[in-house]
Amino acid sequence: MALSGLAIYKMLPQTNCKECGFPTCLAFSMKLAARQVELSACPHVSEETKTQLDSASAPPIRLISLGKDGHKLEVGNETVIFRHEKTFYHQPGLIYRLADSLDDQEFTHRLDQVADYGVERVGMDLRPDGVAVQDSSGSADTFAARVGQVAGKGLAIILMSSDPATMEAGLKAAQGKEPLIYAADSGNWQPMADLAKKYGAPLAVLGAGGDLEALAALAEQVAGYGVENLVLDPGARGWSDSLGALTRMRRAAIKKNFRPLGYPVITFPGEGSEDPREEAMLASQFIDRYASLIVMDDFEPAALYSLLTLRQNIYTDPQKPIQVTPGLYEIGDPKGDSPLLVTTNFSLTYFSVAGEVEGSGRPAWLLVADSEGMSVLTAWAAGKFDAERIAKAVKAAEVPDKISHKSIVIPGFVASISGDLEEELAGWQILVGPREAIGIPSYLRQLAKG
Amino acid sequence: MSVAMPNVNETWTGKILEVTLGAGPDKGGTRGKTVTVGGETTLPFLHFEGEIPNKPVVAVEVRDRAPDDWSELLVKAWGDSLKDPAAWAAKAEGLGAEIIALSLDSAHPERGNTGAKEARETVRQVLKATSLPLIIYGPGQPDKDNEVLVAAAEEAAGERVALGNCEEKNYRTVVAAALANNQVVIAKTPIDVNLAKQLNVLIGDMRLDRDRILIDPTTGALGYGLEYTYSVMERVRLAALTGDSALQQPLIVTAGYEAWRAKEARTNDGVPTQWGDWAKRAVLWEANTAVTLLETGADILVLRHPETIPLVKRAIAGLMTRAGA
Amino acid sequence: MSPGDGTSMDDGNGRQCLVRLEPSEQTVYIAFGGLLEEAITQAGLSVPLPCGGQGRCGRCVVQVREGTVRRRSALRLSEDDIEQGYALACQTLIEGDLTVWVPPHEELVQRLEAGDRAEKAAPEVMLCDHAAKPWVARYQTTVEPPSMGDNTPDLERLQRELARQHGLRDVRPTLAALAKLPTVLREGEWTVTVEIEQGDWAAPDGPYRLLDVLPGSAETRVLGLAIDIGTTSVATYLGDLETGELVDHASAFNSQIARGEDVISRIIYARQPEHRQELQERVITTINALVDEMLARQNLMPERIALATVAGNTTMIHLFLGLEPQYIRTEPYIPAAGKFPPVPAVSLGLHMRPEALVDCLPVVGAYVGGDITAGLLRTGMHEQEAVTLFIDVGTNGEMVLGNSDWLITCACSAGPAFEGAGATSGTPAVTGAIEQVWIDPRSLEPTWATLGDAPPIGICGSGMISLLGEMMITGVIDKGGRIAGHGRSPRVRRGEEGPEYVIVWAAETGAGDKDIVLTETDIQNLLRAKAAIYAGATVLCESVGLAITDVERVLIGGGFGRHIDVEKAIQIGLLPDMPWEQFTYLGNTSIQGAYLALTCREGRAQADELANKMTYLELSADGRFMDAFTSALFIPHTDESRFPSVQRALAEARPERVSHHD
Repeated sequence: MALSGLAIYKMLPQTNCKECGFPTCLAFSMKLAARQVELSACPHVSEETKTQLDSASAPPIRLISLGKDGHKLEVGNETVIFRHEKTFYHQPGLIYRLADSLDDQEFTHRLDQVADYGVERVGMDLRPDGVAVQDSSGSADTFAARVGQVAGKGLAIILMSSDPATMEAGLKAAQGKEPLIYAADSGNWQPMADLAKKYGAPLAVLGAGGDLEALAALAEQVAGYGVENLVLDPGARGWSDSLGALTRMRRAAIKKNFRPLGYPVITFPGEGSEDPREEAMLASQFIDRYASLIVMDDFEPAALYSLLTLRQNIYTDPQKPIQVTPGLYEIGDPKGDSPLLVTTNFSLTYFSVAGEVEGSGRPAWLLVADSEGMSVLTAWAAGKFDAERIAKAVKAAEVPDKISHKSIVIPGFVASISGDLEEELAGWQILVGPREAIGIPSYLRQLAKG
Repeated sequence: MSVAMPNVNETWTGKILEVTLGAGPDKGGTRGKTVTVGGETTLPFLHFEGEIPNKPVVAVEVRDRAPDDWSELLVKAWGDSLKDPAAWAAKAEGLGAEIIALSLDSAHPERGNTGAKEARETVRQVLKATSLPLIIYGPGQPDKDNEVLVAAAEEAAGERVALGNCEEKNYRTVVAAALANNQVVIAKTPIDVNLAKQLNVLIGDMRLDRDRILIDPTTGALGYGLEYTYSVMERVRLAALTGDSALQQPLIVTAGYEAWRAKEARTNDGVPTQWGDWAKRAVLWEANTAVTLLETGADILVLRHPETIPLVKRAIAGLMTRAGA
Repeated sequence: MSPGDGTSMDDGNGRQCLVRLEPSEQTVYIAFGGLLEEAITQAGLSVPLPCGGQGRCGRCVVQVREGTVRRRSALRLSEDDIEQGYALACQTLIEGDLTVWVPPHEELVQRLEAGDRAEKAAPEVMLCDHAAKPWVARYQTTVEPPSMGDNTPDLERLQRELARQHGLRDVRPTLAALAKLPTVLREGEWTVTVEIEQGDWAAPDGPYRLLDVLPGSAETRVLGLAIDIGTTSVATYLGDLETGELVDHASAFNSQIARGEDVISRIIYARQPEHRQELQERVITTINALVDEMLARQNLMPERIALATVAGNTTMIHLFLGLEPQYIRTEPYIPAAGKFPPVPAVSLGLHMRPEALVDCLPVVGAYVGGDITAGLLRTGMHEQEAVTLFIDVGTNGEMVLGNSDWLITCACSAGPAFEGAGATSGTPAVTGAIEQVWIDPRSLEPTWATLGDAPPIGICGSGMISLLGEMMITGVIDKGGRIAGHGRSPRVRRGEEGPEYVIVWAAETGAGDKDIVLTETDIQNLLRAKAAIYAGATVLCESVGLAITDVERVLIGGGFGRHIDVEKAIQIGLLPDMPWEQFTYLGNTSIQGAYLALTCREGRAQADELANKMTYLELSADGRFMDAFTSALFIPHTDESRFPSVQRALAEARPERVSHHD
């Protein structure tokens, strides 16, 4: 279990020597507890403490990587059940399954679709992570040829075959790419494990119908055999069966520190749904609930884009204050001559201001400046809601194109910046609004009177 | 060989309250169908751990005034029914809606400024046109909410409708209307577990029964704050199950309203080709917003597009199937 | 009224009980089950009932010395009190013949104050062990007069004797002291008293400096000056460096206020170098005026002040020393220094010996300054095992948590609400400030007490705490702080700035011109201030894995005035719900700590260690803090189960409240 900062502090030298780069031993301990620093940063820690702390900080879910170097997909290493408890760390990989039996043209087309897809969203480049090659042909050579084709694309690779000989052909074709072997079941686990050892590849362990005890037993057997880089497939499919199995696995790993289930989980939404739209919705469930690899069958950009967006949402750090997107918001149905107010992008600030403007019954433009999620006073104190930033927001939102006047209402708490703002926004009239949002309706009423 | 799987079931001490919308003739109303939500004794759809006696339901948004800012996809899908709330409600019922969420939008000072009289008339018409229970939303402006919600609550007396939105700034009026006419309120707060609880405490201090409240935690659409709603709903539900009596009401989310505000659903103008087919994308945007909200505890989902209704109902059916069955 | 006159001899159905009242020796008959308060009133006596007889204020406490009573409520009484027979007259039923002590008014007030207030408990000056050498000390020395045979110069002659007689080696004179030396030696006929500065914090072992030389065995004292530079006010202590004895003290508003109420405004103002200089001049002018005032009162010369120790928040110290404060404000919030070099007084223009040193206590970070280092030193919590929370309820809302093993600190920018600033009728804790309020739950009429019993001029921090608690209990506001009692009293009205409650009508105020009110906006401000402090405290605890209930003691510093009403402070959720005896109010801890560092070498050394040891937790933009803050923005708190005593108080008050609502 994770140790508190104070518990770690008691094991450290307590000299406040600052050599770790933190001002005090307690500060360092708290960073350690939050897993934001390595213990090795402390030059004075005893060997005994090192051993104790290392075992305490071993992740309850193992970190597994597919691929190498520039094209590495890392999954697992999660530490919480609910993201608000800390955060979810490693986004699940979105993988597309291609059958090796597809004809050349079709296979190449589908492979390129996956490999070429990339889209930008709020400054991040989002793309699918890899391809799973399914042995449907029954021919090791065909399988190996398709794997070889994929290997050149810089994608994570999953090799899917129950036949060890075919699997080895695929592994040879993907030499150096560290693909995931899918899968070892109760029948073939030993040869599959031998392959995993031989090729240094991670190995998926497949259970049956969601029987977690059997899955745990098999995983333990494989791990005992010497293959520890595992991924688990509980064998459950569909909505509620998968949800139940994945929830129980996550709880066992994190709350009970149950090692046999402390591995990332692979899922196949297409196998539990009737059509591509249901597959996409089920994939959403897996992003929300505990999957580390999601293998999709239907490639549809509209669906993929919504899944990439969801994944980006769920894997943001919930400890950061809730922010609204900076920009110009319409409250009510403002016209060109409606008043323009400015506030910060801390969500509660935005909601209370927008709510009061809406409640006033007087439409207005609300400009939200990027204050890095701080409320008005905090942002002002830290220099994140000053004349420069407000002027920048005015320009970025192309305010002059949308409204016909040049007056802007600033929160009463930052009255002191009006002078600076007059300089930044030449020709503008700076009006000082009320300090509290609850003063907005009466302020707008007076403003309308002139 | 077998390994003993540790028992991972939680023993929750709290239970979600059951809230019923709509009243049939036996209870003093005229509804042909009523809906009961809530009653869960575990987190969403964890059948291995507790009871989920009532499935989540789909409400469909109906406005008393043809919306002028809706996506053309929605306008096309609903057609002429947009111009008549009664026809719209009947069509929604036919498409699988389980609740009609009627918005008295025309009362807004900027959008018609209609009054109590018109509100009564609309409510009367819609009640006649559908057998489903009603949610009635005011225009979201305290003075007008005051006027039309009180009138609507009186007009629908005995029907056990849900009045919304009941917010910190107007809760006294809305709760008083609910108390006087035996209705339910939708307590809405901006994406924060503390604010949700605070409003429920304030409403409770006015002596409204606890099972006459629905919690609207404020919905963020996919790509626009969905993760905040996700975590707030999880926290609300965890608090409820661990015994916090001020948060044990069912959750209602406005997935349709929020998803269709997103550019991804609303428009196809100047969007990247990677976004894919507009119609597919738009419906999935709403449906995938709904799925995540289901996973975190939504009991009532207010939707907009006709095609989303069966998709979301299919997910609900899948989730309500007991595991291992 | 005596039993003989028959007026209370009515024998209805109930049994009549004989109630003897002391010390007046009156007796009355009251039916079984009647209220004690009724008996007292019938006897023509009175007890105060500011809360309207609701058992909330505890002002009607009496002592039942003999006989049986039943207490409906004992909310304000401890188990010991009950053991001793104390009872609330308004809540206690007579169930037999009684002897009751009705205390005279003053005694009653005193008892109450000892009971529920954390008074300024400790002496304002902490003496230290002066066996350890003071920073500046006097020595008397007799020097062999020179002769043709021994023509050693005056200075070396003195140095030789200082080494021989007092073990003081290598004493270096200031130029001023050297200039005086030849004359003084001869004037004193080779006996002199010298003032020696024995090192400073940066070089505790020397070199020593000869600051002054006086003829003969001079009776003068060596004085030191402790200065607390607050954002709002400046306090000074003048003390004897050799004995630790406090000679005088004075305080005043910081004249920088003219350039902004808070540190951020001042930092922004100081962006131009000439403004920075202006702010430095302003604070030094404020200090000099205080020094002059004390010196005049004591009939002393500035030269007698041989050392000054300064505590202040990081910004104040920067402005005092004329340092660039801009980088304190913006990420990553870096002060110019943590430990400041001692500087000669002359370079700052302070009214004291020009060569004497001015020593600023070390700061921990941008928003935890030397005032907290000093305050912590004063509390002594760093020497005890008990986990202690020290809160300085000032504009910056700094606090420290810890014990002898560890210390962690944060600042949560509470704003000046509790210092009386910013509110419509706010005032600092001065004569005429309303410091306590009760509200009758039926009439909503208030009863108030002012500092110095003067006509009310406004309401100070402790008064606001008290008022807010009463407004919540009586339903004038809802738990969200919105005014809810419209129509129940003319005192609840819609004012120019929205809904408000009138505490004092204009005609009854000191100035007679304006009603004293608390507006909804004021309430939101207060809520934010109290929420920031409570949230800071909880996050600080959680950051080290403790719950706030693990805290064993709470020490409170700040400028509330005479006291803080702990019960009300808990009621509004400013302080955690813990037994009252676990709270101690220390007053201005910063000046007390500065004085300790000034008069005690060991204290000064500890201040350095403390600044080094404290771990600073940055709260701005911390999701956990925002969450804790939002959850504390409710009265008493969103999670009411953290405040069981308030839940009980509400349960008792609520039936009453509801019957008047409906």
